[in-house]
Amino acid sequence: MYRVYFENFRQKVALTEEEQELIQAHLMTRKIRKKLYILREKDICKFVVFVEKGLLKSYSTGENGAEHIIQFAPENQFILDIYSFLTGEQATYNIQAVEDSELIIISKSSHETLLKKSHKYETFVRILVTDAYIELQQRLNANISLHPDELYIAFMHKYAHIAQRVPQHMIASYLGLAPETLSRIRRKIAGRNS
Amino acid sequence: MRTKQHIAIIGATGSMGSAISKSLCRGNYRLLLCGQDTKKTEKLLAEIRRDYHNADVTIAPCIKEASWEAEIIILAVPCCTEKEIAERIRKVVNQKIIISLTNPVHKDLKSMVTDVNSSATEALQQLLPYAKVIKAFCTTFAADFETPVIDGNRFDAFIAGNDTEALENVSELISCSGFNPVIVGDLSASQTLERMQFLLIQLDLKMIMAEKQAGKSYIINS
Repeated sequence: MYRVYFENFRQKVALTEEEQELIQAHLMTRKIRKKLYILREKDICKFVVFVEKGLLKSYSTGENGAEHIIQFAPENQFILDIYSFLTGEQATYNIQAVEDSELIIISKSSHETLLKKSHKYETFVRILVTDAYIELQQRLNANISLHPDELYIAFMHKYAHIAQRVPQHMIASYLGLAPETLSRIRRKIAGRNS
Repeated sequence: MRTKQHIAIIGATGSMGSAISKSLCRGNYRLLLCGQDTKKTEKLLAEIRRDYHNADVTIAPCIKEASWEAEIIILAVPCCTEKEIAERIRKVVNQKIIISLTNPVHKDLKSMVTDVNSSATEALQQLLPYAKVIKAFCTTFAADFETPVIDGNRFDAFIAGNDTEALENVSELISCSGFNPVIVGDLSASQTLERMQFLLIQLDLKMIMAEKQAGKSYIINS
C-alpha cells in the first residue's frame, strides 16, 4: 500500500521506522479505476499524487477539445498540477487514470504539516522538485531541437515501459504530433529496420 | 467542483443508508454502495438508476475495497458494529473523511450505551486516529429525507468534527442532500448531539404511546 513510496523515499533520504510512521499517518491511500479522474481542469489541485501501481496521465485541453498530454505517471512517479497546487488558482490540467491504479495522495495541508514537522520530508521534496526540473528541461530541449523522427525514437528509448502500455494516439499527443504524423514516422522506421 | 468525489456508503440498504444514498445521487458524486444483503443492494441500485438517470453509482461487495477507493466513507450502521467495521477498514482510511451517523442507544431504547463525557463518535476517532471523523445526520430521521424542506425552510443537520476542511466538505454534501448544514463544534460536541437524539427518540416514543392510548380509548368510546 505504501511500499513503493517509502522505497522511493529511502533511495533519496534515510528514514527510521518512527519517521516513516509519522509521514505515513499523513498519506491517504486510494484506488482509482481506469478512465476516472483524480482532478478536472478548473478545480483547484489541493494534493500531490504518487502512483504506487498503475498509470496516470495529465493533459490540457485545446480549443478543439484535443488532449495535450503533459505527463505520464507510471509506478513510482509523482503527478500534480503544480501551478494550481502552489497558487490555489484553478487547475489547467486534468489528471486521469489510464489503468486501474493504486495511489498515495498527499493533501496540501498534510504536505505543509510534514514540511514543518519532518526535516527529512523537506529534503525528499527538494530532491523531487530538482529531479522534476531536470526532466522538464530535457523534455523542453528535445521538443525544440529534435526532428519528429528523433523525438519519437528518444521517447521509445527513454519510456519503452510506458509506450507498451498506452495507445499510439496518446504517444502522439505527448510528443505534440498529429496521430497521422506518428503513423508515418513509425512506418518509416519500420521500413528502415526491415 | 468538477472532479467527482467518491463516497462509500457502508450499510447502504438500511433506512438511513438508502435515504442518504438516494439524496446524494443529485450531486457530483460517485457512490459505492455496500450492503450486507446482495438482493437488497441490487434493488436499491435498480431504484436509484430508475429514478436518477445521471447517477454515478455502483455496488461494492467489499467494504475494505470500497473504503480504499473512496475519499469519504459514510457509516450508516448500528453503533454495535462500528468497532468491527473500523478494524476492517483501518488500513485504508488515513486522512479520509468518515461520517458517523450512529446513535449509541440501547436496544430497549431506554438508555444509552456510552458513558457520561464520552460519545460513540469520539470512540470511533480513537479507533481510526488518522481519519477525519465527522458526526452528521444523527438527529435526522430517514423519513426527513423525503421532505427536507417544510414551509420553505430546510431542516437543520448538525455536524461536529475536528478538521476544518473536512467540516466544509461535509457541509457541501449535506447541502446537496437537501438539508441545512450547521457546524456545532469539534468532535466533543458529538456527546451533546447523541444525547439530543436520545431525547428526540424518547419524545417520539412518548408521542406514539399517547397516540396508541388515544386510539384505544376512541375505539372503546365508539
